[in-house]
Amino acid sequence: MAVDVRRGAGIAVLVCALAIAVVAGVAVGAVTLPISAVATAVLHPHATGDVAAIVWALRLPRVLIATLVGASLAISGSLLQGMLRNGLVDPYLTGGSAGAAFTIAVAISLGVPQPLYAGVAFGAALVTTLGVASLARSGRGVSPERLILAGIAVSSLFAGLTTLIIMLSPSAAVSLTILTWLGGSLVGHGWGELACAAAYALGGAVVAFAVVPALNAIRLGDARAIALGVNMDRTRWLTLIGSSLLIASAVSVSGIIGFVGLIVPHVVRALCGADMRWTVPASIPAGAAMVVIADTVARTAAPPAELPIGVLLSVLGVPAFLFIAFRRRRGA
Amino acid sequence: MIEARGLALGYRGRTVLRDVDLSLAAHELVAIVGPNGAGKSTLLRALAGTLTPQHGDVLVDGARVHAMRAAERARHVALVAAEETADGDVVVRDAVALGRLAHRPWWRWNGTADDEAIVDAAIARVALGTLAERRLDSLSSGERQRVWIATALAQQAPTMLLDEPTSHLDLAGAYATLDLLRELAADGAAIAVVLHDLNLAVASVDRVILIGDGTVLADGAIDDVFRAELLTRAYGAEIAVRRTTDGTMVAVPRRRRASGAAR
Repeated sequence: MAVDVRRGAGIAVLVCALAIAVVAGVAVGAVTLPISAVATAVLHPHATGDVAAIVWALRLPRVLIATLVGASLAISGSLLQGMLRNGLVDPYLTGGSAGAAFTIAVAISLGVPQPLYAGVAFGAALVTTLGVASLARSGRGVSPERLILAGIAVSSLFAGLTTLIIMLSPSAAVSLTILTWLGGSLVGHGWGELACAAAYALGGAVVAFAVVPALNAIRLGDARAIALGVNMDRTRWLTLIGSSLLIASAVSVSGIIGFVGLIVPHVVRALCGADMRWTVPASIPAGAAMVVIADTVARTAAPPAELPIGVLLSVLGVPAFLFIAFRRRRGA
Repeated sequence: MIEARGLALGYRGRTVLRDVDLSLAAHELVAIVGPNGAGKSTLLRALAGTLTPQHGDVLVDGARVHAMRAAERARHVALVAAEETADGDVVVRDAVALGRLAHRPWWRWNGTADDEAIVDAAIARVALGTLAERRLDSLSSGERQRVWIATALAQQAPTMLLDEPTSHLDLAGAYATLDLLRELAADGAAIAVVLHDLNLAVASVDRVILIGDGTVLADGAIDDVFRAELLTRAYGAEIAVRRTTDGTMVAVPRRRRASGAAR
């Protein structure tokens, strides 16, 4: 029972962190709003006035998108690290982000209208991830080693092609648009995009939550999991489909936001232990809080410019990751 | 209860074992012995239904085990796989609770109160009660082996197959593990255990299956299987069988004389 109390306390800390991050994310910006004004605006969705407009049209959808993106990336990171039993696995390893980046670069070069980017990115991320999974097929199942190799190879291919598109783009403005998207950004999305992305993510989360017991068995070793009655083929395919939906949902509204899917599972395991029944739910507030905080910093650190959130997360995320990794190694 | 008929087993077209016929009944504790690479683990996996035979059938409780779905198979046969790295941060109780996985829908996270009671009983049966909240990496090899046996007990399968459960244990730990298996067999389980140490088998079981030369060389009581010519053939090395003063049989390699030594 002591173990469960510690795990529960870990989740409570993460949920509090998310709540504080969301309130701060809505209150802080070019115009900083008092928390009481934010509360009044949130409680009266049909009110008019500047504060209501800022909260309902600009900040709330953005903060909620950040929440969704963070949660999606973190869940898929936890799932893939669990399935592959490898803490170095990033959800982008499965090629989804690289495929989406390339497709978006092509779409921008061809002058596809901006409202279609989210749909294009979603489709490309999903197709690439499932394509990589197909390349990794061995027999009826998916081989973890082949998945990592195929993911790295396909990601490298698309990264090269994306660079080529940027170099061949007709104008500097087009190159800049592509680079902005690649750097990750939550600018310019509203309730419509949020609803679409949430629907994809929800589908992914349902699949993801279904494989949790089987992923826990895999922690005892593949042979033991099979002996305990786990259907390995089904588990691996469902994990890949669930995480593909989550990654595609995140990429469609935020572009490439790195490191969340890699770091959050480590943070969560340090707080709540490695049982997937706790890591997967705990990934939701942890990933969400991280992206909401990063987005708030990205849009307020150097006004009036906005820093690309992907770049910011890498700059802040790498030292945090190294700190966790080295602390764990010393502790071990 | 397991029955194997005319099994041929192997990997990628290569046959490791052929013409295997054997059965395992309730209340039986059987040792499977033989040299390295003879196919003991392969046989165990086939009996557990996790390796499809090239020929022949394995019937578990009257049904073909290879036609069963994964969860159904795990409700009939519990396989304790040989040493394989498990994540060290798994808590003992969580590991044992995974034994109940096959008894609920695959997507359901937690067991019922009945499942919890079965897990508690399995932990108590192998005397791990005080270690239930510990991580696997804080346990000794013998304690970890008991965790895997408890997990298999939680499966509540009538048949239990164990692959070298004593491989990393000292003599006392090995005997304690086999004593536990004898108790479980006495309670009604059908148990087959792969053992590396012939003399441990002699001391602990009533029936031995000797694997060698790509097939089952002998299957029966200790006295019938522990014959110098059979063991020598199986292991490809001169082995003598002696009796100690209390009548226990002991298999020993014949001492080789150094070449050129004075006779």
